[in-house]
Amino acid sequence: MYYLGISAYYHDASVALLDSDGNLVDFKKEEWLSRVKGDKSFPRQGLQELIKRYNLSEQNLVSVTFYEKPVRAWLTVLKHSVKNNPITNDLTRNYFKNAWNSSMRFHFDLSKYLNVKKITINYSEHHLSHTLSTLYYYNEFPCVSVVVDGYGDKYCTSIHHIKSHDEITNVWSSEYPNSLGLFYSAITDFLGFAVNEGEYKMMGLASFGEPKYYDNLSKTIKFDNNELKVDTKYYDYVRRTDRSYSNLLIDELKIQPRRPDIPFEVGTEDFKIYANLAASAQKLLEDLLFLVFKHAHDLTNETNFLFSGGVAMNSSAIRKTVELDFIKKLNLPPSPGDSGAAIGAAYYGFINKNKKTILKNNLNKNIFPGKIESKEDFFDLVFDKIADNNDAIEKTSEIISQDEIVATCYSNIETGPRALGHRSLICNAHKKELIKVLSSDIKKRNIFRPTAPAILKRDAENFFNLEEKLMNCYTHMATTATPKDKVLQDIEGIVHVDNTSRVQICDEDSLLGKILMSLNKYKIQVIANTSFNISSDPMVYDKEDAFLAVERMGIKYLLTETGLYKRK
Amino acid sequence: MILSPDKNNQDLLGTLVEFAYAEYGSALEMLIAAKKASSPKLKLGYIRHALDEYRHAGLLFQVLSNQVKNGIGEFKREYKFSPQNVILKGYVDKEGFLVEKFPLKKFVEFVYSNEYLAKESFDYLSKRISDSKSINTLKNIMDDELGHADDSEATLADIQKDELVHHGMAKKFYESKFPAAKLQLAFKREKLKNRFRMFYYKNLRFLTKIFDPILNFIINIFGKVVNLISIPDKNKRNLMSSNSNSVV
Repeated sequence: MYYLGISAYYHDASVALLDSDGNLVDFKKEEWLSRVKGDKSFPRQGLQELIKRYNLSEQNLVSVTFYEKPVRAWLTVLKHSVKNNPITNDLTRNYFKNAWNSSMRFHFDLSKYLNVKKITINYSEHHLSHTLSTLYYYNEFPCVSVVVDGYGDKYCTSIHHIKSHDEITNVWSSEYPNSLGLFYSAITDFLGFAVNEGEYKMMGLASFGEPKYYDNLSKTIKFDNNELKVDTKYYDYVRRTDRSYSNLLIDELKIQPRRPDIPFEVGTEDFKIYANLAASAQKLLEDLLFLVFKHAHDLTNETNFLFSGGVAMNSSAIRKTVELDFIKKLNLPPSPGDSGAAIGAAYYGFINKNKKTILKNNLNKNIFPGKIESKEDFFDLVFDKIADNNDAIEKTSEIISQDEIVATCYSNIETGPRALGHRSLICNAHKKELIKVLSSDIKKRNIFRPTAPAILKRDAENFFNLEEKLMNCYTHMATTATPKDKVLQDIEGIVHVDNTSRVQICDEDSLLGKILMSLNKYKIQVIANTSFNISSDPMVYDKEDAFLAVERMGIKYLLTETGLYKRK
Repeated sequence: MILSPDKNNQDLLGTLVEFAYAEYGSALEMLIAAKKASSPKLKLGYIRHALDEYRHAGLLFQVLSNQVKNGIGEFKREYKFSPQNVILKGYVDKEGFLVEKFPLKKFVEFVYSNEYLAKESFDYLSKRISDSKSINTLKNIMDDELGHADDSEATLADIQKDELVHHGMAKKFYESKFPAAKLQLAFKREKLKNRFRMFYYKNLRFLTKIFDPILNFIINIFGKVVNLISIPDKNKRNLMSSNSNSVV
């Protein structure tokens, strides 16, 4: 018997499937299959694949759970807009016109693929889905869950006190439009990056600046008397669909919004100004976030924290939580955003039916769920096989030691946004120039975006200053760490301008772990790891995508579960 | 698959953006076709086609950037590439890719016709571009499009051969060998569809003017109703005991 969870319509859509023991047997992001980055459409392709693979029907599906309350989600913004704007304003009109494109059509879309009359359909709360997506991996009670995102079904920030699997109390929340996520997105928009996509670029840019606009931004969003308040006269996300900031914010900052078509040039006056704005927004986000964490502790007295929602992808802010003494442990799911909420939704269905939880820590077991059927039948036409699967790791290490870049499309794909080795581009992290080629020439990334290191557990303490309370976060690159002074020069290429690295600590039996073990003989302890995709494309999913990507990027080597290949 | 550019359309930059999304949409269609293809050779052919279309989309955004640099129009936020627009603008149908909706032969026929149409559309477009760098870029894209049309013709022949091999129906092969007249028919059909799309697009603007006041009236009525609806507050409540069937 299976439990299906679905998230869709606002951010990247996903489907997740748990079996009767609560194992995450499969997970599909729609963008992997449609090849449209951030695809938020109903995940029909993911669902169709699961239906086919597991013969899903009313016979073996216990429940399908949608990750939010659709009508509540639609009504909340509309109510606010109708109340605060002229009745025919842009946002109100948009909500009416697109009602049938919102999550309210979930039941209709689902009915095209499953017999909805004979299957239990649940609707979980949006932030509860996030909390459960984290709880699914850690299952330690009691604890407190902090959820911070742009907007869920009514709430933008929530604190959940978790005493057991069936006692999750919403002890505090801030309602739309008082949103840390929407504030951060508005500044992302101001900086000319795409909303819901460019936030991580702004985080990278922030390291190049000083928080010179902190006071100006502080006027626009506050945490006062245990209430998060956004002064919406500075933000147009409450009244427009084409822009998130208002003219008043432009006046307040006394700088013009950046034109997205003009590239950043490091060292120019414009670059400095916009980096300063990014740094100000980042610092303000961190300060407000820490006040929310403090409030969570005050309300619950818990020291074991879970953190999820889109803002939980801000790895820079997470590292700074070590300053908060009241947090003894901080855990994040591998996919903290809306797509991961599909796992939480499926878990909701599981708990609802079985009235029990999974009594184990699931993190390592469930990072690469499912199975991908992907044929290599065309590989003979385009690749030479230079090592079969028995020798592939050894040969890959040898090639990496020769300063080559290797792409991996190895077995199942990682659930979260970070490449953890199965869909990665990897090279020797001790070679700064090589990393520059990987980041700038091959990936065509902005100079202010760092490349991440991967390292074995046994070596990690020698290279990085690690925090005990964040240990789980290093498994899936949820946070950053500072390198030790003695190795700084050696791994300069993977250290960001703010002297941090988003380090991944690998188990010896993982793919990257095995490669690192083998690289030991070449005295390479750290590899640089970035996601295997072209900018503006989703992560490579199957072998056709892999070949297309190596062709577009000019990569020579591809490692798969069947061996190591060289492009002809 | 592609909107023919309006010859009198003043919005050159907007037209370039539409072309770029059309090419991007074609790239996705070809990639998905590759994943569904049974023969490795056909699969590779589709991937190569997809590679060209991805490159074209990038080049068209470069042409757009050249126009802005040359002072032809001003850059607008909506010109910035956003992958999801390929769905929102209708270049890819979220209900299914062409290869999922059409039988293989019809799919190839569709690609063949549209590649020729694309070439024709690029002809019109290139007449409106003045800088030599961008003209060259467009010329190269046009050559590619013709090449794709030829590939499609070859693919059709391959499919026919495969059918011959699979079913041993030699006579049928000769009878059903894709005749020029059938291709012409497909070509005309796609051209007509494109004209209909343009007609719809132009009239959509006109229809919007008529329907806007009606929408405003509806919003006025329902807006007041929406305001009266109360959304339950979940503060201090156990979320696991709330009604799992409720959508509010």
